[in-house]
Formats: sequence, C-alpha cells, structure tokens
Amino acid sequence: MSESRIEKLKYGLLKAIDVSGFRVLDPVVRLFFGEEPKKQAADVFKYLITPIAFVVLCLAAWTVIAPRHKTRSGEVPTPREVWAAFVVNDTLNDREDEKEADFQLSGEARMAAIARVREQLRVKEAESIQRKAELAVIKDRSEAEIQAALAPLQQAYDELKAKNTTEQDVRSSTIRQLAAAVAARIGSTDQLLTAIRDDNTKTEAEREAEKQIKDALSDVRSVPPKALKAAQLASNAVANEVQHLNKRLDYLESGNRDQKVVAAEQKTAVARQTLDTATTPAAVLAAAKSVVRGEETAARTAEQSYPRTATIWFQVRRSLFTVFVGFTMAAAIAIPVGILCGLNKVVMACLTPIISIFKPVSPVVWLLIFQIVVGAFFPDPESHPLFQFFGSLPLIGGLGVNPALIFSACTVAVCAVWPALVNTALGVSSIDRDHMNVARVLRLGLWTRLFRIIIPSSLPLVFAGLRISLGVGWMVLIAAEALSSSDGLGKFVWDEYQNGSSHSFANIIFACFVVGIIGFILDRIMILMQRSVSFDDGAAVV
Amino acid sequence: MTASLEIKNVDVGFGPLNSRTEVLTNINLTVRRNEFVAIIGFSGSGKSTLMNLLAGIQRPDCGEVRMHGQVVTEPGPERGILFQNYSLLPWLSVFGNIELGVKQVFPNMSRSDRADYIQHYIQMVSLTGAERKRPGELSGGMRQRLSLARTLSMKPEVLLLDEPLSALDALTRANLQDEIVRIWEEDRRTVVMITNDVDEAVLMADRIVALTPGPKATLGESFPVTLDRPRDRTTLNFNPKFRVLRNHVTRYLTDLNHKAGQLRPTVDLTLPKLSPYEFTAV
Repeated sequence: MSESRIEKLKYGLLKAIDVSGFRVLDPVVRLFFGEEPKKQAADVFKYLITPIAFVVLCLAAWTVIAPRHKTRSGEVPTPREVWAAFVVNDTLNDREDEKEADFQLSGEARMAAIARVREQLRVKEAESIQRKAELAVIKDRSEAEIQAALAPLQQAYDELKAKNTTEQDVRSSTIRQLAAAVAARIGSTDQLLTAIRDDNTKTEAEREAEKQIKDALSDVRSVPPKALKAAQLASNAVANEVQHLNKRLDYLESGNRDQKVVAAEQKTAVARQTLDTATTPAAVLAAAKSVVRGEETAARTAEQSYPRTATIWFQVRRSLFTVFVGFTMAAAIAIPVGILCGLNKVVMACLTPIISIFKPVSPVVWLLIFQIVVGAFFPDPESHPLFQFFGSLPLIGGLGVNPALIFSACTVAVCAVWPALVNTALGVSSIDRDHMNVARVLRLGLWTRLFRIIIPSSLPLVFAGLRISLGVGWMVLIAAEALSSSDGLGKFVWDEYQNGSSHSFANIIFACFVVGIIGFILDRIMILMQRSVSFDDGAAVV
Repeated sequence: MTASLEIKNVDVGFGPLNSRTEVLTNINLTVRRNEFVAIIGFSGSGKSTLMNLLAGIQRPDCGEVRMHGQVVTEPGPERGILFQNYSLLPWLSVFGNIELGVKQVFPNMSRSDRADYIQHYIQMVSLTGAERKRPGELSGGMRQRLSLARTLSMKPEVLLLDEPLSALDALTRANLQDEIVRIWEEDRRTVVMITNDVDEAVLMADRIVALTPGPKATLGESFPVTLDRPRDRTTLNFNPKFRVLRNHVTRYLTDLNHKAGQLRPTVDLTLPKLSPYEFTAV
C-alpha cells in the first residue's frame, strides 16, 4: 500500500471514530499507524487502560461484596452468576428455536431429525444415569461428613441443655420456697425479688449460649459442601438436556404439525366411512357433522404456529419494536408541532400551558390512561383488522402486536414527545436572522423557506431533542411493560421478580445490563444521525 | 439621467414613543441609473440600517424609499444585497447556495441551462473546483466571493453592498475591490456601497456621500469622484487628483467626528487618586 493510501485509511478511521463518538479509540489508531508513539501510548494508558482497570476493579468489588448481602431471594448474584444467567437465557432461546424448527419439519427431514435426536438422547440418558449415580455417592459421603460435623455440636448442645434445665429447676424451687416464706410472713420480700431477677438474667444467658450452638448446627446443615453443589449442578444440567431432547422428540413425533394434520385427516376418513355405512338418519347426521368438524380441525392445524415461550431475545425484539413505534409517533407529532411553535409566537403561547402541564406527568399515569382508552378502541382485538394486518407481516407478525403493545407505545410517545417538541421549537425560533433575511430577499415561498432554510437550520437541535426523546422513551417503556405486563423486557424483569426462583435475581441483573446496553446503542445511533446532519463542524457520514 | 433609487425624508428610530432613540433623521439621497455611490461613515452611525432600508428589509418610520419611482415595501431579488457577514447557508454547497436564488428568479430555466448559468458565475468569482464544498470549508475571501456570485446571479437591477469587504484582510480586500469594479464595468448597473474606508470609496465609486456620526445621523456633503476609469491602484497614489480628493474627504470626516465629540455631553469623571504604596523592582 502506498504512503498516501495509508494516510487516507488512517484519517478515514479517525473520522469514523470521531463521528461515532468513540473518541477513546483515537490514540489506539494513531499508535497503530506509528504516530508519536510515546504520546499516544500515554494517552492510551490514561484514557483507555485506566478506565478499563477501573471497571475491572468495580467488578472485583462486586464479586467480593455481593455474596455478603443476603436477601429474601437469596444472595446478591456475583458477575459470574449474571454471566451464567446470560448463558442460560441464550440457551433457552436456542432451544426454543430448535423446537420450533422440529414442530414445522415434515417428510424425510423429520425422520432424519428423529434419528439424530434419538441418538443424542441415548448418549445423554446414559450420561444422566452416570451423573445421578455419582451424585448419590457424593450425597452419601457429604451426608456422612455433615453428620460427623454435627455430632459433637449436637452432643455439646444436649449436655448444655440438660445442665441448664437442672439449674433452672433448682432456681425455681428456691424461688418457690422463698415465696412460701414470704406468704407465711417469715421471709424477706426483697430477697424473693432479687432471686427472681437473678433467675431471669441467668435464664437469658443460658438461652443465649444454647442459641449459639444451635446457630452453628443450622449453619452446618444449610451450607452443603462444594463438591455436592457442583455434582448437583452437573446432574441437573444433563437432566435438563434429556428433558429438552424428550420434548424435541415429542415435537418431532406426535406434536409435529404435519403429524397432527395427518391424524386429523385420518379421523375424517374414518368419519367418512361411518357416513357411508350409516343407516339411520341420526347416525348419518352425526357422522356428517364429525366429517365437517374433522376437516375444519385439519385446516386449522395446518395453519398452527409453534407456541413459543417468550425468551429474552424475543422480549428484546418486542421492546425495540414498541419503542420504535412510540418514538416514531412522538417524532411525527413533535417535529411539525415544534416547527409551528417556533414559527408562530401565538401558537407557542397557545401550546405553552399544555406543554407545561403535561410534561411533568408521570409515565405511570399515562400508561393507565392509555390502557383504558386503547382498550375501549379494540373490544375484540383478535379479529380487529389492524392486528390481523400486523400479524400477517413477515418479521413483525411474530412479535404479537396487541393492544398492550399499542398502549405501551402510546405511553412512550406521550412521554418522549416533549423534549423533541421543545427542542424543535427552539431550533426553529433561533434561526439566524441573516438566513431569514436571505429568504426574504429571495422572496422564497413557504415550502422552499421551510425545506431549504428553516428545517436544515434547525436540524441539529431537532436531532438533539430526538436523542433525548429516544432515551426517555426507552426508559419509560421498560417501566410501562413491567407495570402492564405487556410483553417486552419490562415484563421479563417483572416475571422474574414475581416467580422468585433461585435464578431470578441473577436474571433481573442480567436484564438490567441488557436494557442498559441497548439504551447505549440507541443513543449512539442518534448521535451518529445528529452528527451527520449538523453542518457546523462540516462532519459528513463516513 | 433617471433616478434609479431615491430616499426621501426618511427617519428611523427605535424604542417606545416617549423615550425614542433616533438613528437616522432626514435622509435624502438620489442615485442615478448605473451610478456607483459609496456611503462612508463611522461605525455606529446607522450605515447598516440605511442599507436595510434600501433593501426593504426594514421600513422607515416616515418618508419613503423608491426604486424606479415605485415605493419599496419588501425586500426582493431586484435589489441584490451583499451582506457584511456573507449570510451563506452553511448546509448548502457553493453550487446549492447560488442555485437557491437562481431557481427563485428564473423558475423556467431548464436544469442543464441552470447548471451552466451557475457555473458561469462560479467561474466569474474564481471559485471553480469548489462547487461541492460547503461554506464552512471556504476561506473568508472565498465566502464573500460566493456571496457576490449568489447576488449577481439573480441579475439585480440595483446592487447593495453592505461593508462587503470589512471582514477581510488587506490583500484579499484589494483583490475583491478590483474584482467587483471589473464585474461592474463589464455589466453596469446601479450600486450603493457602504464602507468605512476612504481609499476604497475613492477607488471604486462615482460619488461619495458622507454619513454624519449618530445618533440622529444624516447624510452630509457629497463628493463626486471624477477620476478616469479604469483606475489602477498602483499608480493612483501618485495621482494628485486622487490625493486631493482623499484628503478632502478625510478632513471632512475628521471634522464631523470632532464636532460630534463637542456636541456630545462630556461628563467630568473624578478619577480616584491611586499610587503604588511601595514599588520596588526586584
């Protein structure tokens, strides 16, 4: 490569980095091309290595601190557990894909798949049995270990308990004697009271001592040995896989769509035979009805789709689609209205009270309002043409567009509309006077003025507003989904919170990262768009 | 000669009626057809306001501005104005900036004709090769040349130059002065130029009109420039006529400024008596 081409590549890369907002990588590229290595290396260390080290430090702190905090839903998960949650959720998604494919297979391919799955199942079942045996051995061994650890403690506890009981008996008999003496007017009341007080203190101390041993006992019982835990996990993993393979087999054989259709057709054929041979009018009628029903069932089955469980990636896709719909609605309202506001002070004055009052309203309130309003629009969503239309679309059809999605999107739109509107109005109203004078001297018409002067001039601010809007929209959407149980990432979090299994907490934190990373990517995309339309620094898209 | 541009008894001020600041009072000016008039004045005397009046961007409080006898009520492409700060549209290319005006003034021109026409003006101001560049990528001189091309491409009957060269360095400035005069001589039309540079005015104009210092600025004496064209800036300095005229105008302006200074109420400010408490050079 010639000198100038290398230079060109270098500056192209630098510009791409600059436009996409990853300025941190700038010294890395320069260092790679050998520009002032010493300075660049220092910059790489300061602005890249140091932050990475800091993040690693945070992860380390998290790993150390998390297990010390015990909650109702178990310990706070460590980074490792969160990563495991990612793997589990990803596997779940893959398995759903496999099952869906199995459900739809037919003919030769289906037979081949059955053979493959059976082979896998054979291997896994053997492994599962082996793992279970290993687990039983380890379980016995660790049970013995636990018992061995428990025995001395239990003995100590029993001894202490016996000793304390005797002492307590002695004390209470003394107290009874003193009380009798006081009743007979020969003993001192003070002495009795002191004895009672003394007894209470001692009993308290004895109980405390007993409790300590008891705690030690329950600690030994509740913490299973590491080897046992590992064996259990391994055994569970294999058992899980066996279960999955069995399910696959089910979807390949009796649960397969094609097989179901065949079964329904056979049933119809039988009914037809009965119809042919039937003699009484009642029997004929019954058989005929059964034929028609059979035909209908076959037709319906042929169109059936796999009843997919909502996995995390499905929820991500749905959330992204919802936020896209809501954001588009927000932009479609905000930009024209913002331009009107910026152009005309009266319109601005009219809209200011509305903006001021509705802008601070909580998304939760909007969600409830839209839930009611949208619900009223679609009394029978299944048969509504809008949803049927969405259902028939290639990619979006699988997302399950329903009224819940519509009202979530509306909530996003109404919360995201304000920053875009206000920024657009500001952008339009702050157009350079000179540019407007140019328009006046040229006697530009309304449309030319709008599309050649006003909109280009305000685009950077419009995009700044849209960027804030998208951020707000994404944040609002997750909350809205969690609250309304509308499918999406929010629902994923909410379901995990509700189901409270041992993995839930890790899943919630995993979802937290997913939400954050997607939000970050969306923001970056908006920055890229903003940079590509802003004329001030002459940056064009690379 | 017919009057191309007329200003009659124009007053302009701002602020509410009870505490009004008059910027321009009693302005009267008649510009003949194809005459090059330079209006020279101090900064802050309302030169740009006068230009806005001529362009129609601003309406006078009383009096009127006429062009070919018609009262000017709004700005339009027939009075092409060259703004002091170029006023280019930063999101359009060099070509796009010119095209915007051309499309508006010649709506029936075909696409290829228009491209040729624009290219002609780009060539006229020597910006060939920079057609696709944005104004942000151009130097100050190139920007003003583009601005000039944009204005000229609209074939204005009157050209209004609002301190077009004041933001440029001396060399670029001299270059552009020559260029403007050259273009004007090729295709004569009425020009009103505002400037604060006496040399520039004498070099370029047919007539120089002084604007008295504001507030309440008005037009002062008028000096006809009878030097032969084309005027060569290198030899002009030795031309006695040029030197006399230049000194004459300069003295007139200095006197004006002096008088304005005397008219201005002087406030005696008592300055605090300060002296270093201890001052030792180390």
